[in-house]
Amino acid sequence: MSEADTADVVTAFEQGLAEAAEGYAAAFGRATDEHALRAQNARLLGPAGSLTKLLKRMSQLPADRRREFGKRANELKRAIDVAFEERLSELARAEREAELSGPMLDVSLPGFGRLPGRVHLLSRVKHELLDLFATMGFDVADGPEVELHENNFDKLGFPPDHPATDMQDTFFMKGPPGSDPRATLLRTHTSTVQVREMLRRKPPLAVVSAGHVYRRDDDATHSPMFMQLEGFMVDRGVSFAHLKGVLTHFLRRLFGDDVPVRFRPSYFPFVEPGGEVDVGCGICQRWKRPDAGACRVCKGSGWIEILGCGMIHPVVFEQVGYDPETNTGFAFGMGIDRVAMMRYGVGDVGLLYSNDARFLTQF
Amino acid sequence: MLASHKWLTELAGFSLDSETLAQKLTSAGLEVESVTRHGEGLEPVVVAEVCQIRPHPQRDKLRLVEVFDGQQRSEVVCGAPNVPEPGGRVVLAQLGASLPGGITIAERKLAGVVSCGMLCSESELGIGSDQDGIVVLQDIDARPGTPIADALDLRDVVYEIGLTPNRPDCLGHLGLARDLCAIEGKSFAPPAVPAPGRLLSAPTDQFPQGDAVFKLSNLWSGNCASDGEAVGFAPVRVDIRDPSRCLRYGAALVSGVAIAPSPFATRYRLHVLGHRAINNVVDATNLILLGFGHPIHAFDYDRLEGSRIEVRLAQSGEKMTTLDGEPRSLSEDDLLICDGGRPVALAGVMGGGNSEIHDGTERVLIECAYFDPRSIRRTSKRTGLHTDSSHRFERGVDPAAVPAVLAHSASLVARCAGGQLIEQGLDVNPTPVSRAKVGLRLGRVETLLGLGLEAGEVKRILTALGCELSERPDGFDVLCPTHRPDMVREVDLIEELARVHGYEHIPTAVPSVRPSQRGTSPEVLMVRQLRERAAAAGLQESVNFAFVAPSELMDARLPTEAAVLANPMSEERSVLRTGLLAGLAANLRLAQRHQLQRFAQFEVGRVFLPQAGQDLPHEAYELGVMVWGQRALWYDERDTMDFFDLKGVLEATLRPLVGSHVTTVPEPELNGSAPYLHPKRCAALRLGQETLGHLGELHPDVVDALELTGRPLYGLVRIPDLVRLVEDSASPQASDLPRFPASIRDVSVVVDEGVQAGEVASQLSQAGGALVTEVRLFDIYRGKPVPAGSKSLAFHVVYRDPMSTLTDKAVDKVHTKVTRAAEQYFGASVRK
Ligand SMILES: [Zn+2]
Repeated sequence: MSEADTADVVTAFEQGLAEAAEGYAAAFGRATDEHALRAQNARLLGPAGSLTKLLKRMSQLPADRRREFGKRANELKRAIDVAFEERLSELARAEREAELSGPMLDVSLPGFGRLPGRVHLLSRVKHELLDLFATMGFDVADGPEVELHENNFDKLGFPPDHPATDMQDTFFMKGPPGSDPRATLLRTHTSTVQVREMLRRKPPLAVVSAGHVYRRDDDATHSPMFMQLEGFMVDRGVSFAHLKGVLTHFLRRLFGDDVPVRFRPSYFPFVEPGGEVDVGCGICQRWKRPDAGACRVCKGSGWIEILGCGMIHPVVFEQVGYDPETNTGFAFGMGIDRVAMMRYGVGDVGLLYSNDARFLTQF
Repeated sequence: MLASHKWLTELAGFSLDSETLAQKLTSAGLEVESVTRHGEGLEPVVVAEVCQIRPHPQRDKLRLVEVFDGQQRSEVVCGAPNVPEPGGRVVLAQLGASLPGGITIAERKLAGVVSCGMLCSESELGIGSDQDGIVVLQDIDARPGTPIADALDLRDVVYEIGLTPNRPDCLGHLGLARDLCAIEGKSFAPPAVPAPGRLLSAPTDQFPQGDAVFKLSNLWSGNCASDGEAVGFAPVRVDIRDPSRCLRYGAALVSGVAIAPSPFATRYRLHVLGHRAINNVVDATNLILLGFGHPIHAFDYDRLEGSRIEVRLAQSGEKMTTLDGEPRSLSEDDLLICDGGRPVALAGVMGGGNSEIHDGTERVLIECAYFDPRSIRRTSKRTGLHTDSSHRFERGVDPAAVPAVLAHSASLVARCAGGQLIEQGLDVNPTPVSRAKVGLRLGRVETLLGLGLEAGEVKRILTALGCELSERPDGFDVLCPTHRPDMVREVDLIEELARVHGYEHIPTAVPSVRPSQRGTSPEVLMVRQLRERAAAAGLQESVNFAFVAPSELMDARLPTEAAVLANPMSEERSVLRTGLLAGLAANLRLAQRHQLQRFAQFEVGRVFLPQAGQDLPHEAYELGVMVWGQRALWYDERDTMDFFDLKGVLEATLRPLVGSHVTTVPEPELNGSAPYLHPKRCAALRLGQETLGHLGELHPDVVDALELTGRPLYGLVRIPDLVRLVEDSASPQASDLPRFPASIRDVSVVVDEGVQAGEVASQLSQAGGALVTEVRLFDIYRGKPVPAGSKSLAFHVVYRDPMSTLTDKAVDKVHTKVTRAAEQYFGASVRK
């Protein structure tokens, strides 16, 4: 290499370094996004960048100058890198700031995925009631809906041809020709489960059961199919006081700690003493406000009839083979539809079985 | 049962305010369901005296009546035909009065003349049924201006009592009063029989059945001299052919009655108790019914053939016409009262038209009997005749009360209708009913009630109810009254003690429940979990009736051999469902009619399948799912749900419960077992090798038959199978986490449209052996260059060696085997 060539190289390095040093800060500053910034950086330090090209000619420098230029070039490169990184993070910050202070996402748009489903009102109430008894130690049992006359009436002590059977107008099933036309039927109450469980097991027993029952009735307050809950407890020494204790506890859990509960005598063939239980009407709350006005729910009486109950009749124990002298027990039953209607303000029982999607999705 | 406050008070001998009385009855098990106050709101309605009557200037039928109301005279326009002469007393509704019918009295012009008030009829006042004329007050000494409620003694409170069928004794005021006295701790005395006004003695041969003859006069208080001997009576004979159905039959005669309307007080009492007044004799029998709760019947003695009563069963097909005018065809199970030749009453249910009291009746035969309750009930049910009489007999009247009620009845009829009572009556009692004797242990009372009662209190309560007690070491021997047929066991007496003592006085105690022995049955638990999962998966629970129309089963291609109701309410609800599809289809039809855009419902319910040789059908829980219509994606309304939406919902419902994947596989037998599904768009739902149910599009023909539109999808899970599988399956066991990285290679396979991707994946997996950990479908492509009728399936194949890092070479080797297998099994061309 000639003297002159050497001098040119030196000059080129001097100029190249000077140009690079002079322009990068401004160029980076002009870049307003990451892409532009990277392009500016590449013009200097990319594979075809001016500084990269210059550094490739390092070997053409005279040996005594190489060290000096090498040092200056590396310092410049480091300075550019630092400036690049600074600008880069400045731009990223600006972008984030812009997003954070920018327009709101349209969060009102519908979510993706499935529309919510619902468990039916009756199922919800049923499970709630069953749970209350389960936590008191009752077993949860089940039984068939088509039943023998025996289990629905006879074993429960309904006398034949007695007006008591009028209380429950029955759907009978068609049997084979020549069979007893009343032999099988749709159960009129869940007390059949009581019979079945007692036949199957021995005391002590505490069982609760819920399900569909059927009676030939169809109006605003009666559906030919409806849902009942039935429970019973049998052991030595179970008394009417226990019946009152369990049911009062249950009703207070269900309707609130301050609700008044009233037991009054009534009649069901399979219990004695038999009773009905009223709770204070939650709509007018007459127990707190004696001067509450008209109330369409309790018709002004202040009470809502909610349960039938009583001590299991010795006839029932005899029918299932328990000794009625050593065993005592209580039984109770209630309409689940009624509780559901009260709780959700449903005026017509037919709606519960309408399966009208416009009704079901209200809850 | 309607009960009058005034009457109860008369019988009980003490008075309570009506609110307290209602509450006492209710808390003693005689539930007062409603209370009606009579004689209120009739102000200003007053007694007025007629002063002058003038014709109306324009209308013949109207008259101008000047009346004096105690303060002033005023003129009213009146159209009634029975306005009394001046001096007569009438009822004036003054200006401003509002009457029960909703009429408010104001000055108004009637054919040009202003009327200042209205003269009222019974029905306008709401105090009776007479609407033919205005009320004319006779035999009532009330001054003009007296409020009508005072003048006619209208104030009464009537309780509507919802009696339970075990309390026939309270179907009359007497029994209610007795209970009221027991509740209040007062003594009760049944009313004495008042002596009749006039009396005749019967000649000695009047009643041939000597031992059954008794003197009614022995039962009444006070004296009544006999007018002499009755003449012109044929000998009266009562023959009971079936003493197991007619246990006791009493008869008495009243001669010389004059049939006429009853006095106002009688008619008003019947009116407030919901009975129509007929005439003095029939009204008297109704007063006895309402007072004693014991139905009696009055025959026109002169219309009875042969002066004879025969009680017998009907012959099959025998006919009679009851007094409602209906011809009745009888069965051998119906008990009849007959005279010498023909039926004159359907015993205990209704009298016959041929012997009823009429305006010309002069002599009355009164029947007071005790019939077998079950017999009366069967006849009442069979004929559809539910009468006040049958209602009481079928619940059980008091057999021991027959003579006393007969004496009361005869005396009342004689007094009301101005007749002469024949002193002798008949009491034929072939089957005496004995009083139940029951031992009562005080210890048992305490065991059952959780409350000890003093012997004195026990004695007081039971005595007040009509029992006779004798002491024994552990309690009492109790002789129960015949008016309480429900008292036959010790527990019946304990109930009475609790009832009268008051349930509110029994303490409240918490039993020591022994820990649950079984908990919740697995099926009940599964049903519940399915409900919650299905709802979480986006489905709405429905609850359908178990009874459906036979045509619905047919249309839905469900088994048509169903359990059939013998007495359905309608054809639409006459058989029990054999599948849940019928109900869900009806719900979808409803939604489509309401123009809803999407439908997603499930039901967990029972289906009923008759079993040969079994009394009861097989009942099994099923989960049914029906979806149809728009997907829940809001940005594409044309996007409708298909097979995979249903599959996804079922997976989401079942996976958390079964712990592993359910699979859907084609199954040719489905066409037979689920004919309602589209034959090419259906699958069996499997868990491992076990089939749990099926799913698919509804068959298009079924969609038409069910009157649905679009492509509804239906899925079914048999819950007993699900319960069994879940119970049998062990809990999943943990395996080690992978320690070495996986390699993923892709393969695309072109196969016939009918080939199942799942089958391809499983073949690929098998071919790759142990190193293949997963074959995952990621694309399906149809169109060029894939030939028509074929599809290209693209899979990620994941390779992993649990013991080492796989080399590329090793992966290549296995992957080649995998691609070859694809070619070999499916004739597939592998896209490289
Ligand atoms: Zn209320």
